[in-house]
Amino acid sequence: MLETVELRKVFKGKTAVEEVSLYLKEGESVGLIGPNGAGKSTTISMISSLLKPTAGDVRLNGQSVIKHPQQLRKVLGVVPQEIALYEELSSYENLKFFGKVYGLKGKELELKIQELLDMVGLRDRQKELIRTYSGGMKRRINIAVALMHDPKIVIMDEPTVGIDPQSRNHILDTVRHLSREKGTTVLYTSHYMEEVEQLCSRMYIMDHGRIIASGTKEELQLILSGEETLLLRLDRQHAEFTEELQTLAAVRQVEETELGLKLIVTKNHQILSRVVQAAERFDVQILNIHIDSPSLEDVFLHLTGRNLRD
Amino acid sequence: MVSILLSHWMRERRNPFLLLLFIGISIIATLMFGGGMTQKMKIDVFSETGELKESEKEWLLLLNKGDTFKFRAQDEQSARTKVREGRADLAVKLTGDDYRIIAVKESPNAQLAEQHIRTVFERELELRAVSAAAGDEKGFRSRIDTYLEEPPLTLQVKGTDGEELLRYDMGLQLMFGFSLFLVMLTIGFKVNTITKDKITGIWSRLILSPVRKSEIYFGHLLYSTMIGIVQITVVFLIFRYAFNFGLGHRYGLLLLVIALYSMTIVAMCILLAGILRTPEKFNMLFPSIVPIMPLVSGVYMPPGTITSPILLGVAEIFPITHAMEALTGIAIYDNGIGELWLPLSKLILIAVLCMGIGINLMERRHV
Repeated sequence: MLETVELRKVFKGKTAVEEVSLYLKEGESVGLIGPNGAGKSTTISMISSLLKPTAGDVRLNGQSVIKHPQQLRKVLGVVPQEIALYEELSSYENLKFFGKVYGLKGKELELKIQELLDMVGLRDRQKELIRTYSGGMKRRINIAVALMHDPKIVIMDEPTVGIDPQSRNHILDTVRHLSREKGTTVLYTSHYMEEVEQLCSRMYIMDHGRIIASGTKEELQLILSGEETLLLRLDRQHAEFTEELQTLAAVRQVEETELGLKLIVTKNHQILSRVVQAAERFDVQILNIHIDSPSLEDVFLHLTGRNLRD
Repeated sequence: MVSILLSHWMRERRNPFLLLLFIGISIIATLMFGGGMTQKMKIDVFSETGELKESEKEWLLLLNKGDTFKFRAQDEQSARTKVREGRADLAVKLTGDDYRIIAVKESPNAQLAEQHIRTVFERELELRAVSAAAGDEKGFRSRIDTYLEEPPLTLQVKGTDGEELLRYDMGLQLMFGFSLFLVMLTIGFKVNTITKDKITGIWSRLILSPVRKSEIYFGHLLYSTMIGIVQITVVFLIFRYAFNFGLGHRYGLLLLVIALYSMTIVAMCILLAGILRTPEKFNMLFPSIVPIMPLVSGVYMPPGTITSPILLGVAEIFPITHAMEALTGIAIYDNGIGELWLPLSKLILIAVLCMGIGINLMERRHV
């Protein structure tokens, strides 16, 4: 339905996005994850026709929309990262205004407003000014506004940043509702891997302006299929012990956690005995060992060398 | 475009205080600074004997024949206290057929008043002396009064162009000046909503909607212009009908100048918003830049006060200079469109240049 072909964006000689190719099939939810500065928002701006790419193409049903974005704009709803609302108006007035912008009027407009207020759970507070809302409530209305014209494709740019758990759940439910019951195609960007895992059937991982991996959760986990995660609970942190573990051939990554260390290690190896021996050498007591398959966070760490929210 | 106007109107209705505030300040400032131009100067008069005698009351009547001063009987102590405390420039002590000026400092008002009092006393005492010399005092005064009402010779003063010599109304100029100055602030803050909308993402939402970019700009600019026209018109109407200011009879032309000026200020604000980039910078710097314009343009001073060629040159780039010229031309000199084409053309030129460059700068930095 919607695809990008080798999108590239250069700002004042600095490349923000390089060769980004992705696609969204009709009705599917796709995640776009990456740390701050990875190029997600720039990519979204180019896909939604708000920013002209330096090179590459955006296609809707095979037709380029770079020069004539009207077709895309008709079917597209964008939820920006910012709260793009008139703070001095109520949520009802905001929805009414943006509805009118999209040509809705009369009963149709009124029904749509109430349907969306129901969807985001703010019908009983529709007359209150946006500036009196909590951050989470503002984000819910931010989403509702983008859905006023029943878009076939919705792009959401980190819609759950800095909000309370109740609003977060509402937003996640809204996305599920859009995807499952309305058949809306969703491109969802987030810092939170668990959100993308819950909502999206496929995902793209971006770093330094490039897509470094893509696929379903299972496909991405296969990247680390030959590896497993060891969670060591220790009586104390010991720098030399950590350094020693890093020198072991089977150890791919070592990360300090609150209670000890997290290791990504190659499977089927005599790793446990070596770890225990090292601990004895440095007089570090291992209180607990937990062996797990690598998570998507681990895959991300493996691919980018940093955590998602670094 | 209608939806953009609607968004502005919805917000204006919710929060009309900025507009009302600037209308209020325009009125208060004009009354405070321009009120003295239309009101008579009040001067206290007291007698050395306490109560004013009959002869002194006659002097009071004679002194009050004129438009500039209002002499009023007052007790000596309060009259002297007012002068001493600087609340009055002068007071007058009547001593039969003579007077004393009570003042603590020299001031233009005291000089003018003294000149008026001297003229009244000299003229009356001369008449009395001549009447007494003529023998028939009553008959002589009656003939003099008849001559003064229907003089055998009349003197007419005309301007160099042969027209009636007009009296320049400084109060009116100040009313125009304050209205034009304060409307710049109202319009500026309205235009700044464009940059605010760009920062908050509302602009992007609108760009993605079926509304065209040109319509979005036009809606914003039209609303800002309209609000400027409304503000100036309300102030003018209040002064015309509540304070009896003479605005001439060419109301259509006044409205044209107001509309062109508002449009030019909108364009100027677009340019400043384009240069200053963020709404915060605009909010910080715009109110600092704007008050300089009427000062340099000599809006608060009588015409011809500013003679520096540099200041006069700088004033040429400010819309307020040309709007003032056009408004005073219409209201005081009864100028028609033939005489107004130059200031109006300059306003249009400034509007076109500022709008072109301003929108270009805004577009370079945003969607």
